[in-house]
Amino acid sequence: MNLTTNKDLGGFLAQELIKQSEHDAAVTPMDTVLDAARAGKFSADQCFRLLARLWTLKRTMYYVYGGWAQGINLNEYPPSVAYLFGKQIYDESTHEMQFCDEILRRRWVRTQKQLFVHPYAQFGTATRTGSYIFCLRALANYPQNVRIAALNLGPKVIELAWTEKFAKTFPDEAIHALFHSQLAETRSHVLMGRFQVERFLQKEVDTELAKRLCAETRRDYLFYLEESARFVLGMQEEKAGEISVSGDID
Amino acid sequence: MAGLKIAHDKCTECRMCYVVCREININAVVVSPTSQHLLEIDERCIYPKCTVCLMYCPAEGSIVETDTGRSLVPPPPEVWTENQRWPRQ
Repeated sequence: MNLTTNKDLGGFLAQELIKQSEHDAAVTPMDTVLDAARAGKFSADQCFRLLARLWTLKRTMYYVYGGWAQGINLNEYPPSVAYLFGKQIYDESTHEMQFCDEILRRRWVRTQKQLFVHPYAQFGTATRTGSYIFCLRALANYPQNVRIAALNLGPKVIELAWTEKFAKTFPDEAIHALFHSQLAETRSHVLMGRFQVERFLQKEVDTELAKRLCAETRRDYLFYLEESARFVLGMQEEKAGEISVSGDID
Repeated sequence: MAGLKIAHDKCTECRMCYVVCREININAVVVSPTSQHLLEIDERCIYPKCTVCLMYCPAEGSIVETDTGRSLVPPPPEVWTENQRWPRQ
């Protein structure tokens, strides 16, 4: 019962992407945030900023997945692919709710409606958060196996790595518990990605595409983390994550 | 009798075990006919010949050996298959 293919392109690709992402995940801007928190230099306002930025990303993932979902039911993949995608959306929704719950529990805002309009939780299109989200949304034009490779074996690996660190040593007990509770789900997204890449990504053209897209999503996710870390720590050198675009872009 | 069971106090019901077990046509992971619809592992499981569910399970301690109660997630070295994923030949 040998179920691996002769060339096992997907298996090799999954290993390669995970390795690259783990390399990027070794040190991220979130380490600075964690260091500040552990050093006792973290105010309640900074905590609010942190959760608000994480919440903003999670809530905008609905927009990303909404676009992706439109092209998933064309009999290209077995039902497991659609199921795993549904589960991933459900998990991200759970995490979004947790961030919002904690902000409301601490009364940093009184209602979810207020949180949506709070400056800390704004989604700006000309920001690095926006850049990352639009990068993901643009993957709607690609097959599900390629975009899952780009996200689940890219940014998700990095997210898992910094979440593990926060889950281990973030000093605030409730927030520590929050991150800890998300570990298994985030880890499962990486494993879902590995499974789908191993089983359903077997064309050379797709593997090359996945490598390029994964590198782009990793880069944009790291920019998002940097923007968020700066905002949390009050290290804004530029206005609210504003980015400049060179004039010679296509 | 060697076999596996799911520790429901640890399992997050992500269903990766169900998906991969279906993928290799062993079909030993089933949805229980109760209102909670928890996953269970039935007698079709061929552990230790197959350990694929252990390779994809994200939740520590959520799959255990039936006989011993020993946690197999994350998988200990002796259960890893040659290519680290699929059943032994």
